[in-house]
Amino acid sequence: MDLLAQGLVTGVLIGGLYALMSLGVSLSWGALKIINLAHFSFILLSAYLVYQLTVSFEVDPLLTMVVVLPLFFVVGSLMQIFFHIVNIDEFKSLIVTFGIFIILQSLMQTIWSADFRRIGSGLNSYESGSIFIGGIALPLPSMMAFIAALIIAIGMSLLLSRSYFGKAVRAVAQDEEMARAFGVDTNRVAVILSGLSAAFSALAGVFIAVGQTIFPGLAVSWFGVVFSVVILGGLGHTVGALTAGVIVGSAAGAAAVLWGPLAAPLVTFLILIAALLFRPQGLLTSRSVA
Amino acid sequence: MRRQRRWRYLTVLAVLALVAAACDGGESTDTTAPGDTEAPGSTEAPEGTDAPTETTAAGEEADGDPIRIGGTLALTGFLAATGVIHQAVGEVFVDRINEQGGLLGREVEWVLLDDESLPENAAAAYERLITEDEVDLVIGPYGTGNITAAMAVAERYGYVFPHHTASLTYAYNYACHFSSWSTGLHPNITNPNLVYDAIESSGNTPETIGFVINEFPGTMFIAYGQEGTDEGGAVAEAEKRGYEVVLDITFPTAITDWAPVAAQVADADPDFLYIGGLGVNASQLITAMQAIDYTPRGMFTQWPAPGPLLDTEGADGIMSVTIFEEHPPFTDDPEAVEVAGLINEALADAGVPYTKVETQAAASWTAWEYLQQAAEGAGSLDQQAMCDWLLENGADTLFHGDIEFYPEEQNYFVDLSKVKQIQDGEWYVVYPEEYAAPDRSVVYNP
Amino acid sequence: MSSRARALLGFLVAGLLLAFIPELTEAIDLPRFYVIFLFTVFFWVAQASSWNVLTGYSGYFSFGQGAWYGIGVYTVAVLTGKHGWSFVTALPVAGLFALVAGLLLGVVVFRLRRLTGEIFALTTLAIAFVLASLARISPAIDGGTGTFMTGTPLPSFLGEFTTAMYRLTLVVMLLTVLASYLTHDSRLGWGLFSIRDDEPVAGGLGVPVFRYKMVALGINAFFAGLMGGVWALQLGFVTIDDVFNIRVPLFVILMTVLGGLGHWMGPVVGAVIIYTLSDRLNSAGLTDVNQIIIGSLLVVLALAVKEGLYVRLRDRWVTTLVTFVGVMAITTVFDITRSLISDFAISMVATVLMMLIPKGVWDRVRGRDRPDGGEGPPVGMETMAEAGK
Repeated sequence: MDLLAQGLVTGVLIGGLYALMSLGVSLSWGALKIINLAHFSFILLSAYLVYQLTVSFEVDPLLTMVVVLPLFFVVGSLMQIFFHIVNIDEFKSLIVTFGIFIILQSLMQTIWSADFRRIGSGLNSYESGSIFIGGIALPLPSMMAFIAALIIAIGMSLLLSRSYFGKAVRAVAQDEEMARAFGVDTNRVAVILSGLSAAFSALAGVFIAVGQTIFPGLAVSWFGVVFSVVILGGLGHTVGALTAGVIVGSAAGAAAVLWGPLAAPLVTFLILIAALLFRPQGLLTSRSVA
Repeated sequence: MRRQRRWRYLTVLAVLALVAAACDGGESTDTTAPGDTEAPGSTEAPEGTDAPTETTAAGEEADGDPIRIGGTLALTGFLAATGVIHQAVGEVFVDRINEQGGLLGREVEWVLLDDESLPENAAAAYERLITEDEVDLVIGPYGTGNITAAMAVAERYGYVFPHHTASLTYAYNYACHFSSWSTGLHPNITNPNLVYDAIESSGNTPETIGFVINEFPGTMFIAYGQEGTDEGGAVAEAEKRGYEVVLDITFPTAITDWAPVAAQVADADPDFLYIGGLGVNASQLITAMQAIDYTPRGMFTQWPAPGPLLDTEGADGIMSVTIFEEHPPFTDDPEAVEVAGLINEALADAGVPYTKVETQAAASWTAWEYLQQAAEGAGSLDQQAMCDWLLENGADTLFHGDIEFYPEEQNYFVDLSKVKQIQDGEWYVVYPEEYAAPDRSVVYNP
Repeated sequence: MSSRARALLGFLVAGLLLAFIPELTEAIDLPRFYVIFLFTVFFWVAQASSWNVLTGYSGYFSFGQGAWYGIGVYTVAVLTGKHGWSFVTALPVAGLFALVAGLLLGVVVFRLRRLTGEIFALTTLAIAFVLASLARISPAIDGGTGTFMTGTPLPSFLGEFTTAMYRLTLVVMLLTVLASYLTHDSRLGWGLFSIRDDEPVAGGLGVPVFRYKMVALGINAFFAGLMGGVWALQLGFVTIDDVFNIRVPLFVILMTVLGGLGHWMGPVVGAVIIYTLSDRLNSAGLTDVNQIIIGSLLVVLALAVKEGLYVRLRDRWVTTLVTFVGVMAITTVFDITRSLISDFAISMVATVLMMLIPKGVWDRVRGRDRPDGGEGPPVGMETMAEAGK
């Protein structure tokens, strides 16, 4: 097995998971002008719910999506309604969503304790499964996440460019007042988009519950990776997020294989800094939402 | 401006909650059982008594002011998963000692605070407990960093400091610190050699060995020895035995992607894999290795969370170290069985998935025993008298046996660790032979 | 006497009064913990004040307080722990390294034309992560093993450990707040406020935008690092997870937002309130509730208390004084709680509650149309910025 090739492949796939995790933040920021840190706790909360539903009802973990995804769509929508009522702006959103993040983290710890939670191989057949192509292994959980990210990225891209809703979203992202003046129901657009973002985060949580052991401290460890992907991919740009995820994942994976696992976080953050400094609008676009 | 007003009222509500909380300021969390006891003044329960957690007969009450024992634990934060275990064990101990007449005839009260897994909080909390709350005794927190910080405070005020699993043994030279984690002063030498002896007792010797080490002070110490000394650790000791080190990598504590590590292990393909890990490190790594269809021929992990590993596919045969396990010969002592049962219950109540007593719970119980025996032996709560008594007499503990404190070894004893292995889906001690579970021994076939 | 001279005299008096608290607590037999409580408050006042100079005054939101603090802690830890330097020589170097790091960041980032506020905020966050990673990788800095500070001696003229910590934190805190005050009431300060309100216009009006931002960032980084260096002693055992976590960046935001961004007294007030409450909640064993309360506070404050508590306290100073002194007197005389700190906490909460009475109700009760004037920049300064949002 070629070590570097394996590292790159698993890196690419986990990049899909990173992209999925970043979609929520990216869409909120790009289209709604809200830097929503609460998404990190949405991802984790979704993972805990998947764990709990799987273990309590003894079902296949992927089945729990039927409950979890709509639930978070509603949560996301409600959150946007709340933001609208309090008239939030970009600056305040950082602080307020940070507060929500802390509250949710604390709740999760109170309910599920700080101890590690794993679905267990009895109920979770995907955990260590993988598909082999030419001697290189593609682990199932991250592959599923990658495929999901791919579908959503392309789907959203089409939605945003072809549908009326998509056009409305882009209008709101560019200039909310103008959009409203032209008859777009900006509130409804924002609420739906926020709901979708939360649902995407929840989906990421599903694959995390399937692929890893979860504990409360996990959410904070995602900050660096997600922001790298969000900035590099361009705010609100879903295909960009996928590309960025793949880049970050494979760069970190290659670095880990070549220079040891300690190098991986360093590479991720250096990418983030480079992205912030040299290409804050993202790799693939010069506009904010496309 | 209606909106503004709405938020003002919310703020008022929030602050009212704070006022309610602040009004409780100065009181401690109370973990005592009601004051009914059986035999006041007795120190040890006679062997074989069934002491239920709820007392039945109303005996004499332990009189006088309660003895207040202060301490913190990592009840929140990244060490909380294990902190919860120590909390449960401590509560069982305090309940039990109170049922048996208290300490020196007085009720025991545990003033427990949360240090949020942060050493600076631990230090501040111990200062508060000692100088503001004026507790009579202290007991250590959980986590090397927290223990180190708290020990400095205890030393400053001359308090006897029993503690459990602080891994950086070389750093502790306070004359009155008493560790209940029986690894001796040089676990970086004794622990790996114990493991290698165990492996070789199977009749097979690994030619190549790989190391995957968590970049956490304790695991780094065991693997590489103390910085600035020639002593070395697991890696150096392996080389001394002629094992060829084919992999030696360190991973960050907050690692998110195990796949590259798994790939590197598979590529190096060592006869034996030494995982210097904590918590779920080993579980995650094994899962990642299974995903690329690789199973190491032999594995060891330093300080795992024991429960998750039992559930992990591919983890069969992995070894670790322990001080106590719930099977014979450890369970030959009925009192140990009884206490273990109480702890099982308490852990289950606390929502901890794996409720068996092993290293952490055993070490926790033992630290409390030090405190109890020191006070009873010295006949008072005078810190120096208690300290001297322990140094002279050692302690007779339930889970660790007889312990002595060697001042020349910074109050450490010898390495009492044993090696356990997952066989048939359960943990069994397999080495040394006299402690192995019945009909169990090390399985290693590279 | 000019108001500037009066203020400096005030600092001197405050410094002298505070300086002898350790001796005082011993003399009247108060728990030693009060000294520790106080010097921890000093730590937070310094961190929040230094952060405010950048974020509050210039409007450039920084998530990176942890970076400067971390550099300060690690400089002292490495120099004294690994290279045997004395603490007194290592401490200024800690401030210096943090300063240099801050200036380096500024040189790169402030020159970028497309730099928006959020990009700056995220860059500062990223810097903290990068530093943590570097420290992890390099055994020369940490390499994961952690550094023991317990073997580092302090110069004997400072006294025993707790007193020494108290004096060190007091001095650094006073210096930091002094710097914050001097900046506030100076040309630099007015320049920074104008940058916050509208940077292009400020530049057009002749404000040396780049230079002023660098100074603000420099002040932020230097004092954060200096106080971090002192704090290394308090930590005892310096590890990456303990130093580079979300705590310092989060709390300075919370404290300053509560107290009021943009005024030098804001972070002082905020730090005292937040830390006292946090400490009392912890000592009452309510730590998990503590987290939820902090989170809720953050949400509510950011939305409701726009200009910060300090401005409110200043405007209603009579009420502040009366409520605080009154409640404090009642709780101490009647010994309602066992601890002076708890008494203080209750008085504080009572005073804050009085501040939360809505402006409209308040003015009507007082029979006035406008609040008192006071020192500091005209109230219009703050509201102008608000109007722009």
